[in-house]
Amino acid sequence: MSEIKIENVTKRFGSFTAVNNVSLTITDHEFMVLLGPSGCGKTTLLRAVAGLGMADEGRISIGGKDVTYLPPRERRISMVFQSYAIFPHMNVFDNIAFGLTMQKLPRAEIQTRVRQAAELLHIEQMLDRYPSKMSGGQRQRVAVARAIAMQSQVLLMDEPLSNLDALLRLEMRAELKRLLAELGATTIYVTHDQIEAMSMGDRIAVMRDGIIEQVNTPTTVYDYPANQFIGGFIGTPPMNFLMGQVQRRDGSVVVQLGDHSVAPKPEMASLLAGYDGKPIILGIRAESMETLASPAGDALMACVLVVEPLGSQNLLTVAFGAHRIKVSTHPSFETRADADVWLRFPADKIRWIDPEAKRTLYPK
Amino acid sequence: MTDAAIALTKTKPRPRRQWAPYLLILPSLLYLAVFFAWPMTRAIRLAVWDETALLTLRQEAAAGSAAAGVLPQGAAVSLLDRRSNLAAEADLSGASLTETWFFVQGLDPGGNAVAGWAPESRIRVRTTDAAGAAIGGTVRPKLGAGADPLTSLYSEPNEGSAIAGKLEGSAAVSIGEQAVLEVWFLIEGEGEGERISGWAPSRVLQVYGDGVSGRIDRGDTGQLTRAYIQRMLNDRFFRPAFYTTLLLIVLIIPVQFALAIIMALVIQARLKFNTLFLAIFAIPLAASDLAVGILWYAIFTQSGYLNSILQALGLIAAPNAFLTADTRYWILIAIWLAEVWRATSIVMVIVVSGLQAISQEVLEAAEVFGATLWQRLRHVILPLLKPSLQVALILRTILALQVFAVVIALSGGDVVTVLANETYRQYYTLRNMNVAAAYAGFILLISMFSAIIYLRMVRSSEEASA
Repeated sequence: MSEIKIENVTKRFGSFTAVNNVSLTITDHEFMVLLGPSGCGKTTLLRAVAGLGMADEGRISIGGKDVTYLPPRERRISMVFQSYAIFPHMNVFDNIAFGLTMQKLPRAEIQTRVRQAAELLHIEQMLDRYPSKMSGGQRQRVAVARAIAMQSQVLLMDEPLSNLDALLRLEMRAELKRLLAELGATTIYVTHDQIEAMSMGDRIAVMRDGIIEQVNTPTTVYDYPANQFIGGFIGTPPMNFLMGQVQRRDGSVVVQLGDHSVAPKPEMASLLAGYDGKPIILGIRAESMETLASPAGDALMACVLVVEPLGSQNLLTVAFGAHRIKVSTHPSFETRADADVWLRFPADKIRWIDPEAKRTLYPK
Repeated sequence: MTDAAIALTKTKPRPRRQWAPYLLILPSLLYLAVFFAWPMTRAIRLAVWDETALLTLRQEAAAGSAAAGVLPQGAAVSLLDRRSNLAAEADLSGASLTETWFFVQGLDPGGNAVAGWAPESRIRVRTTDAAGAAIGGTVRPKLGAGADPLTSLYSEPNEGSAIAGKLEGSAAVSIGEQAVLEVWFLIEGEGEGERISGWAPSRVLQVYGDGVSGRIDRGDTGQLTRAYIQRMLNDRFFRPAFYTTLLLIVLIIPVQFALAIIMALVIQARLKFNTLFLAIFAIPLAASDLAVGILWYAIFTQSGYLNSILQALGLIAAPNAFLTADTRYWILIAIWLAEVWRATSIVMVIVVSGLQAISQEVLEAAEVFGATLWQRLRHVILPLLKPSLQVALILRTILALQVFAVVIALSGGDVVTVLANETYRQYYTLRNMNVAAAYAGFILLISMFSAIIYLRMVRSSEEASA
């Protein structure tokens, strides 16, 4: 058992609160991604778990054991650092073997474990090389191999792919995911890259300003963002937000977008009824809209400003009224700048957001 | 290779030469040449080059005449002949034996006016002008039977020139211009197994009282010599100075490095009073070494702080005399303490900068992967500090070889002496700059030797690891 339990942890630097009363439980064997923009406190939280910056308040336990104030080496964890932090004066073998040597394991045991880890990362050919003669990707592999050679139940990763170039990052992402699934260690993975978070994590914890805003599976966080920030932060392009006004008409509730009205789902209607006459934010993802080349009864006319063919889709920037939104269409959909298109908003894809609290409204 | 590839290599543009770096380095090269290379070669030359080793004898009594042979400095010679020679003004500055000749005018026994040159030995100066120059006198009478009673006047200030006239003893003369002549001797001496004779100016000779023998005082040509180095090696202070210097290095440097690394780690730990620690550690950097020596002298001297405190605590009845010739080891301990206190901070500064160059994440990785403080020090920090430690080690060893003021302040430079002190003693007290240069050269030699050893040590371990 190596469940990680973070309870009401707060960490301050002077008067700045980096992590504010955060609680999070990572179950055994789970891959948890801490996602957030830079400065949101995700690395600080990870370091508190690692013991590299002790929490000011709260409690952290690993596998049921309170480790809040234990030094890192008594926590039985291993870690991959953003800058890899491999030892420049040691060759690859000694780097991978470092943690095992410190534990004074028998030589034969160290040999096998280093070899295993190196084989998993395909670096068994360069065990006697020095880091100065290796590329960034190879150093990255050494850093991961060093962490997994420890065979600890908890693996912490601090933006391990952020220093790699785009192509290598894509490759390593898949490889890391396969590797970590094989190892089954409880993992906390810190990143600011939402694609990385979406593609790798079992669950994502989205952080902002020292607070966890939402914890859920990638698809849930993507489809049902808890607030406007998450909707805007996750997904490329980000979710579109349109300001509308709730109106009660003939006993039913509609939201007026300029001169176009959108009807919410029936189970949302009662919730929105409370906003009668007030503004409301409509959130919808670029790929959730239906785009038509010719007018249809309930479709909204918009003018195309930019067409970006991306191969797998066409990304349109369209304008209607004062709004500018991104719409993604099938690559076969033909249009050009200044042409008119007609958009349809499927009711079940629309998220309604309270403009004051910025929280998404969901039926009870 | 395809045609296109060949064309490509032919038209390959040559990289433009960058002149700016060479221009920028020029001042440093000039600086090195003027303030380092030149004085250094002069100093080394002093130690191994005897400027006055050989004297070239001349066939005639003139500086420009052909060489007749060479005699070494100090050779005994016999003086065979003597001649006075007009010498250039510049040459006369070092002349030991000179003769002044006067141009005189007077009336000869026949009543005719005659004028010519006479040596000072024949003219007695009677009147001088306001500036002290001779303007009138009388001819000295010649004594003894058989001698020519008349004094000859020469057309040139030289006994070999034509006689311009003769004057009687006691005849009054007016004195015109003067000429100063240098005395040359025809000498004979033993050189390289054979007897050599020739002329030499008096300034390079020492003439004994008998007037017929002497020795060569200094030569005019230089020669490489081991004499100064030999004199340094034979100097009775050489061995104690050398051993004390080495002993101090062996005692001081390991302690300094251990302390400096501990101090640097304390600073790196960013404790609460970090800047205070740094200030305290760095104070000795600002103190001159002589001041430090005097400070520690004030502690250890008979009525110093240490004795006062021990007495006040009642630990001793009477003051101990620490810094005496009988308690040499106390002087060494005091020097050791003073040097450790004084020069550890410079090592610390280098180590701190080296520590700061180590990536924070690398240190954290060591911590996460289970290294204790000692393991981190041994397996991560010290190996990564090696370049800084090497610099500090070279610097400290060279400075320790030059230790001087602290030793002087604590021992006066006699009871405990070091190489730099002996250099000073030879130069100032004994006025022997050649031996002083030999000492200085010796310090330079062992400094370079130690630096090369340290560099080799690190390079070979790098090669082994590469």
